[in-house]
Amino acid sequence: MQRREFFKKSFAAASALALADTLGASETRQPIDNRKVSSIAFPEKRPLITYSDRPPLLESPRETFSRAITPNDEFFVRWHMPEIPTHIDPATYKIHINGAVERELHISLDSLKLDFEQVEVTAVLQCGGNSRSAFTPTAGGIQWGHGAMGCAKWKGVRLRDLLSRAGLKKDAAWIGFNGLDNAAYYETPNFVREMPLEDLDDHVIVAYEMNGEDLPYLNGYPLRLVIPGHYSDSWVKMLSNITVTTEYQKLFFMDVAYRVPDNDCECETPENRFKPTKPITTMNVKSIIGYPTNNTIVHHNTHLVVRGVAFDDGHGIRDVLISTDGGKTWGTALLDKDAGRYAFRAFRYAIKPTKMGKLTIMAKAINRLGAEQPFAHEIKWNHGGYKFNGIDAVTVEVI
Amino acid sequence: MKILLTALVLTASALMAQVNEPVEVPYIAYEIKTGKGFDAVQANCLTCHSFGYIINQGPQARAFWLEKTVKMVDAFKAPITPEDVQSIAEYLFTYYGNGEEK
Repeated sequence: MQRREFFKKSFAAASALALADTLGASETRQPIDNRKVSSIAFPEKRPLITYSDRPPLLESPRETFSRAITPNDEFFVRWHMPEIPTHIDPATYKIHINGAVERELHISLDSLKLDFEQVEVTAVLQCGGNSRSAFTPTAGGIQWGHGAMGCAKWKGVRLRDLLSRAGLKKDAAWIGFNGLDNAAYYETPNFVREMPLEDLDDHVIVAYEMNGEDLPYLNGYPLRLVIPGHYSDSWVKMLSNITVTTEYQKLFFMDVAYRVPDNDCECETPENRFKPTKPITTMNVKSIIGYPTNNTIVHHNTHLVVRGVAFDDGHGIRDVLISTDGGKTWGTALLDKDAGRYAFRAFRYAIKPTKMGKLTIMAKAINRLGAEQPFAHEIKWNHGGYKFNGIDAVTVEVI
Repeated sequence: MKILLTALVLTASALMAQVNEPVEVPYIAYEIKTGKGFDAVQANCLTCHSFGYIINQGPQARAFWLEKTVKMVDAFKAPITPEDVQSIAEYLFTYYGNGEEK
C-alpha cells in the first residue's frame, strides 16, 4: 500500500517535471461545451447557461452561433456589481459629461436621439474571458464556454460628437466611463473604465438600441458604450457618466483586471507569472461552429451543412476553412454577406459524411491581414484565461 | 448538519421593452457543499455575489482560493475578519479545490 502510494507520487512528480517545459504549449484544449441552459429565464431573455444570478452571468449556447446576428434574448450577459437599478425612468434619465471639458453636459435620451447624428454599427461584443475553460491548469475566473459573445446592430450617437459638444480641454487625455451598477459596499471600487483619447474614433458610439429594439435591461438599458473591435470589458452598461481627465486614474478594474502578460506570446506559467502586464484591448481572429453541435447525430450519405460565425478586430475575415480530417486538409467555406468589418461573418460548408462513427469538424478563420487561428492545443496559458482563439472543433456521430 | 438548498425562484415580473417598472432578476439557489467553514462563507460571500460565482470558477489550488478571498478584502473592501478569511479559503480548497497547493 505504502509502496504503491510512493510510486503514484513519484509518477505524478515525474509527469509534472516533464510538463514543466511544455506547460501552456501543450495543455490547452477545447473549452467545456456540455453545459445546459437553465430552466429559469431572466428578464427579456430566453433560458441561457446561468453561472450566477447576482451579479447576472449568462452564456449563449453554441447553437446561437449559426446566425450572423445574435438575437437580443439569446445575447450573453456579464455584470461585475451586484446592485443593478431595478427601475429606470427613460423620461428623466440623463447621461452626464464632465471633467476636463469646456461645458458640462446632462443629456436626456430624447435629446440624444434628436440633437445628434444617429449612427449604426454592427459589431461583435465578446468577453475577454470567453472560452476560458479551455485553459489548463484552470485559469482564474468564470469558466466560460464559447458563448460569452454575440453580434448585434447597435444604434446610437458617436462618442466623439458628444465630447465635441462638451468641448475637450487642451490637456484632455483620458475618458472615464461609469454605469449605474453598484457594489454592495460603499468602499468597493466602482466598475469604472478608462480609454486613452487616442483610441477614440468615429466607430465608438453610445448606443441606445440593439437589433432595432431598446437595449435589453441586462445588456445595459438605456445606454451602453460600444467599442467595435475591442473586447467587452470597456463597453460600460447603463452608462451614466463620462468623465474626461488629463491623467490616467489608478483604478482597480484598469490596473488589475483584464490584463495579459506584456510579452510577445502573451503567455506565462502558473509558477512563473510574467510582469509587466498590458490590457487585453483588441480581439484576435476567431470562429465558432454553430451547427452541428457536439454529439449531433447525422445519417451517413446525407447532407450536412456546417454553419458558424467568424470575426476579428475589424480587419475583416478573408477565409474560413473547414477540416474533417483533424486539420490535415482544409476546404474553403462559403462566406455570407459582409455586414461590416466588425460584424460576425457567417459561413457555411456542405459535407456528406460517408463513414459511420465519430466525425470531427474543425473551423479555422483567417483575416485580411493573414492572421489565422492556431490549434487549440497551441494556445499558451495566461493567468486570467483571456483571448482564447483556438481552432474550433465539434464531433458528431454518423449513423 | 446538512443544509438542503432547494431551487427557490422568484418569478420575474413581466417586462416591457423599456425598464419603466421594477425589474426582478430571478434568484437561483446554487447547490453548494456544506461542511467546515461554510458558516463563514454564508455570512460573508452572499452580500456581494451568488454561490454560482464561486463554484463556476472551477476546481482551484489552495493559493488561488486564498488569493481570491484576500482580494475580496483588499481590492473590494469586504469587511471579512482575518479568521473568516482563513475559514473561507480553507473551505473553498477543501470542497472546490484541485488538490494542488499552488
